[in-house]
Amino acid sequence: MTLALERPVVLRPRRPGVAAASVFLAVALLAALWPGLLAADPLAADPFHVLEAPSAAHWFGTDQLGRDVFDRVVHGARHSLAIGLAAVGIAVFAGVLLGLLAGLSHRFADEALSRSFDALSAFPLLLLALLFIAITGPGSVSLVVAIGLATLPTYARVIRTQTFVVRRAGYVTEAVAFGASRARLVLRHVLPNVLGPLPILAMIGLGEAILAAAGLSFLGMGPQPPSPEWGAMISEGRGYLRIAWWASVLPGMAVTLTVISLTVAGRYLQRRFEGRA
Amino acid sequence: MIRRTAALVILALALAACGNGGDDPEGAGSPQDGGSLTWGVETEPITFNPHLYAQAKARLLVWNTFEGLLTHDQRGGVVPWLATGYEAAKDGLSYTFKLREGVKFSDGTPLDAAAVKANIDQIRRPGYNPALLAVQLKNLKDVEVVDPLTVRYVLTRPDVLILDFIAAPQGALVSPASLETAKNLKAGGPDLAGTGPFLLDRYTAGQEVHFTRNPGYWGERPAHLNEITYRFLKEPSVRVGALTSGQVQVIEGVPATDQQLIEADPRLSLTRGLNAGTAYTYYLNASRAPFDDVRVRQAFREALDVDAVLNAVYRGTATRAWSVVGPTSPFYDKSLEKTYSGDPAKANSLLDRAGWTQRNADGFRTKDGKRLTVRLVQSAPFVRDRRDVLAQAVQAAVKQSAGIDLEVSLVDQGTATKALEDNEYEVFDNSRLDTDTGVALNLLLHSGGAINRTRVKDPAQDKLLDDAQATGDATKRTELYRQLQQRVVGEQALVLPLYAPADQIGAARTVGGVGFEPTAGVPVSAYGIWLGK
Repeated sequence: MTLALERPVVLRPRRPGVAAASVFLAVALLAALWPGLLAADPLAADPFHVLEAPSAAHWFGTDQLGRDVFDRVVHGARHSLAIGLAAVGIAVFAGVLLGLLAGLSHRFADEALSRSFDALSAFPLLLLALLFIAITGPGSVSLVVAIGLATLPTYARVIRTQTFVVRRAGYVTEAVAFGASRARLVLRHVLPNVLGPLPILAMIGLGEAILAAAGLSFLGMGPQPPSPEWGAMISEGRGYLRIAWWASVLPGMAVTLTVISLTVAGRYLQRRFEGRA
Repeated sequence: MIRRTAALVILALALAACGNGGDDPEGAGSPQDGGSLTWGVETEPITFNPHLYAQAKARLLVWNTFEGLLTHDQRGGVVPWLATGYEAAKDGLSYTFKLREGVKFSDGTPLDAAAVKANIDQIRRPGYNPALLAVQLKNLKDVEVVDPLTVRYVLTRPDVLILDFIAAPQGALVSPASLETAKNLKAGGPDLAGTGPFLLDRYTAGQEVHFTRNPGYWGERPAHLNEITYRFLKEPSVRVGALTSGQVQVIEGVPATDQQLIEADPRLSLTRGLNAGTAYTYYLNASRAPFDDVRVRQAFREALDVDAVLNAVYRGTATRAWSVVGPTSPFYDKSLEKTYSGDPAKANSLLDRAGWTQRNADGFRTKDGKRLTVRLVQSAPFVRDRRDVLAQAVQAAVKQSAGIDLEVSLVDQGTATKALEDNEYEVFDNSRLDTDTGVALNLLLHSGGAINRTRVKDPAQDKLLDDAQATGDATKRTELYRQLQQRVVGEQALVLPLYAPADQIGAARTVGGVGFEPTAGVPVSAYGIWLGK
């Protein structure tokens, strides 16, 4: 703690990558929260101006229906971030629950849960999510749940390991000795102390979730047209790649920059706070 | 009236017609035998059984393995093919066919009158192809075997559509032996034997279908090519890329954005042909709100500037349609042109009068708190020519000009069929490739039609269709279909015709004999195609 006070967190020029990532994330967040500030209607089509190259009037050009690609990319931030956050939310919530359960149970239940985490993580994320969506049908909700379920084992395993450490800690054994109830023990003593690594893990996980969501939307499994989702935009523009690269390359850049920024920022925070839960 | 045709002359004519169209004398030279060709096609067939044929884009595959008693000439008429000639009875109640001698199916079964009868018996089995029974075979009483090489179709009442059926893919003849033994009759495949110039020997779902030359073909010569592979390349850009990089020698379905590229390439040629049949049309479901109100149907049409969206999506290569009947059909009613659509002010006043006066936060019209939503369910195997993109352009246009919410979903065939059967749709999109447009009109607009998606049950409309089916007099038929179009397209506004479907073939200049089928206007089968040097 004292060390952190002596060296306050400042953006140093030694880390231009981190600075750029933070700026980009701030812009993306602004776009997601308040898209109207940056861009006009993403659904306004203009059949007389289709597939026009980037210009002063249309910074990112127009797509096959004459919609402004910049407007769509800005509005797409909301879809992508919301889907990513919701998916990570589900994964973290379920992961913590199951991880705690595994960490606190007796051998047999722990084994069963751990093996099912192993089984889940043996499948590639996209395959598992596709399987889920094949059953439930496409749409934003299935996308969120599918990615949430597919990324859950990462969090569950970390929480399980943390729980093992914490349950043997002195304050827990003492609380048991004082006769604390099981619920109180878990909620007051174990849970707060296992959550430490989660925020940074979730931040990096968010990048992964956004990438997966864009990939699944590209395949038509996510928000349906005309929603301005980044993956769906790349997919819609791919038929025109030869004559209008901007319609799919620029939304693709948005995905790339978001994921890289989240990873860079997440790794930086991870390094800074490593070992300090 | 007796029509007997000098079969050999006509056969020669038809053969010549098959190889007509995109021939490029400079590139491919004169026909030569041998070689293998790969062709990139847009649509994977849902079946290889010709009786159940349903996709216009799969028609070129049918004729490789199967043939019918009749085929089409260049002017929309029919000429003998596996028959040597036919006679119509004076009362129009029967047609007698003389079969060609010595024709064998590829499994060795001879083509005789009993084989023809076996095919019709199969088609008439309940649950096999109900749509066909409801229209083309509605008036077929029986098929009689007169002698081994003479067969007679007997009708309950005069019906001109029977000849069109006999010349259509559904009327193509399958070896009766293989009809019995096929493992999956409805899916078809290598175990269904036909009389055609090629044998289907390998089908890999999702990838390709492969044909080899039928060495025992009955015609005056076997096919030129040793083998031909059709690769299913659903993505337009992938097809074009495969052609320009030489992975395939022919593609069909060239998107508007790439037609110039192919035309400019000295190694490639591009040919276009308009299809026969009906225009690509939105059929409006008049059985439920909001399209039960003719004013809302009219408003939907006025809200859309069809020319603008066609130009945006097809970059000036599409032919605007004004009626359900395609512009190449002899029944096309030209007087409907420029009589409707593209007037947003009129659309808005019609909707106001129909009670859709409120607007919600998204700008959509509402009435009693209900949004003005109409649903279009597109079945993925039937989407061609970027019809999904067109739907999105229409969606944006009707929202912007009149506050109509067109909800578009692109789903698998099962889901689409269910939505249509359950009456959970307001818009149905369709174009049909029928060489006689009457067939399509009976299916689409008759109260008993298998795809009567407007759900209109109107005795007057039915009578026009029935009368037109029963008369062989072309002038009378044209007049009846004109009245029908005036009613359906004009007064009732049951349909929104969009464009006349066309095919484009892009081919390497070394490929000869590629072109369009007479009358139907779709790419030809592989029989007349050859590979030059």
